[in-house]
Amino acid sequence: MTNVIELHNVSKKYSKSTRFSLENISFSIQKGEKLGVFGPNGAGKTTLMSILCRIIAQTSGEVIYKNAGENVSSKDFLNSIGYVPQDFSFYTELSPYQNLRYFGTLYGIKKAELNSRIEELMTVLGLQQVMHKKVQTFSGGMKRRVNLAIGIINNPSILFLDEPTVGVDVQSKNAIMAYLEELNKKGTTIIYTSHHLNEAEEFCDKIVLLDHGKLIAHDDIKTLIKQHNVADLQALFLQLTGIEYRD
Amino acid sequence: MRKLFASIHKELLLLINDKVGLILMFMMPILLVFIITIVQDSTFKLVNDNNIEIIVVNKDKGALGDSLSGLLEESGVFKITNRSKLSQKEIQKTLLSDNQLLALWIPENFSQQLTAKAQSVSTEMLSEFDIIENASVSPKIPTKIALYYDPILQENFRTSISGSIQSFLGALESRLMIEQLYVAMGFEDIPEAMEEKFFSNQITIDQISANTSSGQAIPNSTQHNVPAWSIFAMFFMVISLGSNIVKERLSGSFVRLQTIPSSFSLVLLSKMFTYLFVALLQLTVIFMLGKFVFPLIGLPTLSLPSNILGLFIISILSAFSAISFAMLVGTFAKTNEQANGFGAITIIILAAIGGIWVPTFVMPSYMQVIGNISPLHWCLEGYYTLFLKGGDWYLLFPTILFLILFILACQILTYSKLKIQNYI
Repeated sequence: MTNVIELHNVSKKYSKSTRFSLENISFSIQKGEKLGVFGPNGAGKTTLMSILCRIIAQTSGEVIYKNAGENVSSKDFLNSIGYVPQDFSFYTELSPYQNLRYFGTLYGIKKAELNSRIEELMTVLGLQQVMHKKVQTFSGGMKRRVNLAIGIINNPSILFLDEPTVGVDVQSKNAIMAYLEELNKKGTTIIYTSHHLNEAEEFCDKIVLLDHGKLIAHDDIKTLIKQHNVADLQALFLQLTGIEYRD
Repeated sequence: MRKLFASIHKELLLLINDKVGLILMFMMPILLVFIITIVQDSTFKLVNDNNIEIIVVNKDKGALGDSLSGLLEESGVFKITNRSKLSQKEIQKTLLSDNQLLALWIPENFSQQLTAKAQSVSTEMLSEFDIIENASVSPKIPTKIALYYDPILQENFRTSISGSIQSFLGALESRLMIEQLYVAMGFEDIPEAMEEKFFSNQITIDQISANTSSGQAIPNSTQHNVPAWSIFAMFFMVISLGSNIVKERLSGSFVRLQTIPSSFSLVLLSKMFTYLFVALLQLTVIFMLGKFVFPLIGLPTLSLPSNILGLFIISILSAFSAISFAMLVGTFAKTNEQANGFGAITIIILAAIGGIWVPTFVMPSYMQVIGNISPLHWCLEGYYTLFLKGGDWYLLFPTILFLILFILACQILTYSKLKIQNYI
């Protein structure tokens, strides 16, 4: 398996902060991997995802993007990724179709291809009947599916998902996770954060566990569970990060 | 280019869905321009149409009261209503209840007092010139008439009315005095040729407005209000555009855009183009109302300036000033409420000090200095130069310079803030 992203001693310190949000993080992400990024509140998950998606720059260290073993530029990298933020980062006053057409055009997808892609995504995510209705009238689950559809409109080879199933009903959650599984089978690398550890344990191959900005574990879930002699991911999480509140 | 069109299309869709924003940008200024123009037009007419209604209560037993009333009427400045039966107390009641603004009280001994004064002066003059023997100096004769007014009338208006009546009274007194001089010297009346020289051949004052073009634009409520409220409408887009930017920032749409290989400046550019179109549409709608609808309801027609290129440039700069200000507010505001509240209040204050509501020349001098900080003032100055002063480029230059500097300042601050927020 080839690496698609490599991090070498990546640190991040925000200008107004006295401490590092990320400190000397090094690991790599392999093509086709389903990587879960976990950690308590304030551990540095969002900062790590933001650096990986080129939303913010690291203070020090190096992030290398690769394709078939070759380094790629940030612009080429952005063309190959999809990002599904935790917030509904789209226009609720518009319909799913209008949102997808807008974001798809910004990716430079041609009109005919874009229309067929929109049709396909709406069908797969169960939004075909409402694709011309304003999103502001939708339920939370439907909005999550629109959020996901926009993130994958460009058929990305690497997909970043920040809490993709937060606040949705079981049916929507099931549909979203099933579709992500399908995408992964087609070769999409998925980097995912969630507080639903059961869902994550079922979905991810590998995890990155962060605490206080430091990498405290990075391996296969099964290996880590066995290594720490715990029952599941939640027990592993508590063992490695402690049981005290993180507010 | 396709990306730019897609962004503009998205902005237009968002705008169409923003019903409150559309009402604030189009309906509110249209209503304001109608209401304020109608209200101000009656004031302009009061001053400009030489037709000030005044009640004359002439109690004079002689003929001079009628002469004064006649002079006022002949002047064309006043529309006289004779109500000689009113008492002084009734005049006050009439003014308060009958929607009348002014009343002139001429006392019953007006002719007697005025004649006595003229006789006294003429006798003294002839005595001074030794034409007649020493005349006994008669005591000063007080001659008073009274001007009653509605308390809502502004002092400067009252003073000008009072001055106007005073000048007619002066003319009457002069005539009487000269008449008395002739009578005292044994003539029956003033010779006709002399009367012509004295009273008909007066120096006239030509009123010429300072204007660099050959045409004379008459300042009226339309010429002030149409550009003024168009500017206000453009700047009020802060509610729509400001909250549009805040919403996109808070929803995370801007963050998502950072993960798309497309220039963020394109997003900002699309907003500018969309709202430039909106601003020019606002301007066109309000100008068309002034040109075609106002005359239908008895308001003065908007006369467009001869410098069309100047009009285009001032309009574009005014629109960009409004857009840049709205973008600045949208970028710095932390919430929608902040953007709407701060944006609206700021525009109202800048409009007030900038002369949108009342022209700056009627403000105290320190307020006129403060008014210079308002971009709305400079936009209005530009339109005043075009509509009322002939639109000479030399006169337009300070306005153009200020607006360009204002746009640059707003854009630099906006880009700096977005840079700090890591969007650019």
